[in-house]
Order: sequence, then structure tokens, then C-alpha cells
Amino acid sequence: MADRLERLTNLVAVLLETRRPLTLEEIVERVPGYPTERESCRRQFERDKATLREIGVPIALEALHAFDQESGYRIHREDYELPPLDLTDDERVALHLAVTAVRLGGGPADGPAGAGREALLKLGGIEGEAAPTLAALPDVPALPALFDAYRRRAPVSFTYRGGLRRLDPYGILFRNGHWYVVGRDADREAIRAFRADRIESSIEAGPGGGFERPDGFDPASALRDEPWRFGDEEPVEARVLVGPAQAGWVEADLGAAAVAERRDDGSVVVRMAVTNRDAFRSYVLGLLDHAEVLGPAELRADMVAWLSTLAGRGTA
Amino acid sequence: MTRPDAAVRLRRLLTVIPWIVDHQGSRLDDLAARFGIKVAELERDLELVPFCGLPPYTPDRLIDCEIVDGRVFLRFAEYFGRPLRLTPAEGFSLLAAGQALLAVPGADEKGSLASALGKLAGVLGGGDGMAVELGPARYLEPLRAAAAASERVEIDYYTFGRDELTTRRIDPRAVFAAAGQWYVDAFCHKAGDDRLFRVDRVRGVRPTGEHFDASTPSAAGPALFNPRPSDRRVTLLLNAGAAWVAESYPLESVEERPDGRLKVILAASERAWLERLLLRLGPAAEVLDPAEVRVEAAEAARRLLERYG
Repeated sequence: MADRLERLTNLVAVLLETRRPLTLEEIVERVPGYPTERESCRRQFERDKATLREIGVPIALEALHAFDQESGYRIHREDYELPPLDLTDDERVALHLAVTAVRLGGGPADGPAGAGREALLKLGGIEGEAAPTLAALPDVPALPALFDAYRRRAPVSFTYRGGLRRLDPYGILFRNGHWYVVGRDADREAIRAFRADRIESSIEAGPGGGFERPDGFDPASALRDEPWRFGDEEPVEARVLVGPAQAGWVEADLGAAAVAERRDDGSVVVRMAVTNRDAFRSYVLGLLDHAEVLGPAELRADMVAWLSTLAGRGTA
Repeated sequence: MTRPDAAVRLRRLLTVIPWIVDHQGSRLDDLAARFGIKVAELERDLELVPFCGLPPYTPDRLIDCEIVDGRVFLRFAEYFGRPLRLTPAEGFSLLAAGQALLAVPGADEKGSLASALGKLAGVLGGGDGMAVELGPARYLEPLRAAAAASERVEIDYYTFGRDELTTRRIDPRAVFAAAGQWYVDAFCHKAGDDRLFRVDRVRGVRPTGEHFDASTPSAAGPALFNPRPSDRRVTLLLNAGAAWVAESYPLESVEERPDGRLKVILAASERAWLERLLLRLGPAAEVLDPAEVRVEAAEAARRLLERYG
């Protein structure tokens, strides 16, 4: 019996070279090594087909002739072949450093980390030295499907916090340790960002070319990571006094433009545009004794009421 | 040794053959190194190649593979002239790794990595809609330079869990990004032990003029938070609005109650860390145990209230 690897290799060659779809009978005639009994032959072919698809060989199932019920298999060369990238040796060295310096998910050997290495091999193999780990990024199962939809401009739908969301994925962003998909939410008719690890279903993708990405769209500026701005409440501008020990960090976090006043002792007063009061309170409380809500009176009163409730609980 | 299955070997063949077709006479050992396999594995794969081809599998239709003086030549393999396209997972992983490395402050935005990623994005499509941010950190560059040169430095460090600023001498062994933050893995002379420091909490870096022996392996390892047996265990009852705690912190146990609330146990090594958590959660969390934590949270609230007096 012929080796399975030999049969698989011949199967790829035959399906690549054919100019029309081949039926199973025609394939078996051309590729040695299939059992003669019909049912076990079909099972064996199904297993081979699954193996080829698993490694990314695009097998198309097509009608033999127009208006024909019967269909056959072939591989379209333009779907199979990696277009030439013309990488230089220096570029391959740089990519090799990247896939070794950046760990995705579990480790170097399995999962997407392995996928990055596989990609590198297709691009001409390993060139140069490996790098020590410089960054570890989480792996999220939805990412390859989201990435594929993003690059093909295919609308997607998925379940998020219990609801079905429909999105034109304009971009993918990694920020603050999390992966986000950013795009136009078809139902809310607005730009929205979703944390990829909180997607609760598989990704259903529509046909490619289903939307146009706006010119100059930048996922980094579309996703503002200031949660107190993400809300539907009446906007209010808060003023917060931050003590010297945390002033530098807060300024770096909010940006120098947020600083309204610098005091001699090193403290700063920062302005924050608030449409989500819970998120605002949480941010200020994270600074413990180093921060005080100066105004407006409404937000200051909110904070006093919150702290008073908590202060009372210990004695109850 | 387990034999790699047919899928792994086929993927390898379909990757190696196009390279040899383009680089006739490549040396076996160079090829093995380039594709990350042993010479024996490569030889075993190549032994199979002369049996592959197209019907009727006459010599002129079979791939011709010759190995002469350790150099490999392939003929009649034109249909395998190009490697397979990247799968979505492969394309994503390579682009993500490249963009992450490019996001490290100080990376050359016009260098080989940037140009390679440009070519890759051109082939994959999607344009420039993908971005990786590792976050800025003011003292990242001096710390990376010190680690690279094995230089002992003195740092001012804000300990978040205790809300205090200290000065200490450290031997920085490695600087890396994980879980959305930059960290320094270092031996801390103040603690007399290995420590992980968050770079965004470093408030100053000064050279000491001393070097350290970089060959001592780190005991801190990659784990970012290892609860110690001596850490206090706190049991909380969380409302639905506080369920994010379960996603954000490593918990020792989680139990969903019939009323939908979560009973969680977490390790809290530092008082300020716990105060912050309980102040933020407010009425959404109830401290079940130990009782003194309830008192501490109330004290913290009263302390903060004094500012508003």
C-alpha cells in the first residue's frame, strides 16, 4: 500500500493541474493508493480532504458543467499559491526576531505562536538568530476569524454579552493587554469596539468586499480607553486634584492637555470629560488618598455619598 | 519518538519543495536549519518525493530528486513552485508578532521589520487597520539599556499595593511586556530576592556604575502574581455588576449562588490593593470573611472622606 503522505502529495498535484473539476471516480483513477471498495474509498477520500483543508489547501467543490447536478473537486492555483513577497534576507531576519521575541498565547511550540513560525517557513524559512521573549500577548480563539474577515472586508456577526452584534470590522487593536475588534456596528450605526475574548460565539462571516473602510481609519484613535467617556449620561467636566506622588502618572495617563493647573507642591488639577459617573468614580478611587474631586458640586456630592455609605458599613 | 503525522509532513513538503525549486543545489544541512528540522527528517521526506507526480507516473511525470554531495536538486516539480497561502491564523500571528516588536519604543519604524510587514500586509490585504500597542512607560528605555549591559541601577519605585515610594538598587535581567504592562525582572538588593517591577511605577532611574553577573538565572520567572501561602484570603459576595472582578484577578475559587451572586475567594497580599478594590466595588460587594476586612474598608472610606470634610 502506498504511503499516505505520497497519496496526499499526488492528490494535491492532480487537483492543482486539472483544468476542470474531477469526480471522485476520476480522482481515484489518477491517484494511486485508494481502496477499491467504494464506501471505504469514499471514507478515505473524505479523510484526505479534511487533512488538506486542515493545513489550508483550498479544495473547491464545483459543478462539472453548467446546469449539471454532479460536482467535482479541483484546486485553483490563484487560491493556493502565496503571492511573491520578495522579502530580503534582512526582512526575514527581522520577522524571525519578531516571532521569537513575541509570544502569542501558550508558548512557542503550540497554537498561534506555532502559526507565526509556520508562516515564516512559508516565507522562506528561518534566517538569523532567535530573540529572547520581549512581549507576551494573549491568544483568543476568535482572532484568526476576525482577522480574516477584516482583511477580506467581510461583515461579521457574533454574540456579545448575550446579544447578537453585526459589525463591519474596520480594524484589530491590541491595547492594555486585550485584543479588540473595532468597526461599524450595523444596528447602532456607529463605531464600536468589542473585546475579542468576550465574544461568546463563533464568528459568522459574510462574503468578502462587503464594505468599504473609511479612508484614514485608525483603530487606535477609534478606541478611546477612557471608560468615563463611554456612557450616555449628561456630559459634565470634572476637576480632580491629584497629589504629588501620583501627579506624574496621572498626567502620563490622561495626557498633558488634561492638566488645568500645576501647584507648587507638585500636585495637579486635571479635567476629565465624564459621561459615565461610575467609571469616573472608580478611576478616582483607584488613586486612594492621592485624589480629590473638586467639582462640579454634583460629582463631589456623589463621591461623598458613596464613601459615606461605605464608611457606615463597618460599624453596622 | 512519535512520528509526525501525514498532515505535518505534507505541510513541510509543500513548504520545502518550492524553496528548493527556487534554490537548486541547496545544502541538506542548510535546508534543515532553515526549516527547523533535523537532517534525517528532511532526508526521509525527500526520499518520498521521487514517487510523487502526475499520472501516468512515468519517469518524465514524476518529480526528479537528486542529492549530490549533500546538495539537493529537484526537477519536474513546477506545480509546487510556490508555497501555500498563509492560513488566517498564520497571517494574523506573524503580523501581530511583527507589529508588537515594532511597537517597542525605540524600534526602527523605517527598518527591515517595517518593510517586511508592509509587504505582508500588501499580500494579506486589510491595509493599516491593525495595530498593537504595548503602552508607553517613561523609564522603559534606560531600564532596557541597563538590562542589555548588565548594569546595576538605583530606582525610585511606587509600590501600588502599599501606596508607598521607596528607593532601591536592582540588577535588571530582562524587560518585557505582558498583560498590558511593561515589567522588569530583577534581583532587588533591598528585598534580597528576585522581584518583578512594573515599569510604569518606576519614578526614577540612576546609574550606580556597577555591573552584575548576568549569568545568574532568574527565580522570579514569568509568573506575574504568585499568591504566597501567608497572603490573606478574602471571601467576597459579588453582585452581577461586580462580576468583572472574576475576569480581572486570579481567584482561588468562584461559586455561583442560586441568587446569581458570585462567591469568590482571592489572595490579597497588600492592604492598599484590597482597599482600592473594595472602595471601587462599594455596595456591589459584601465581605464575608474575614470580619476585620469589613472594618478596614470602612476605615479607608472614612480616611478618604476627611479630604471632603
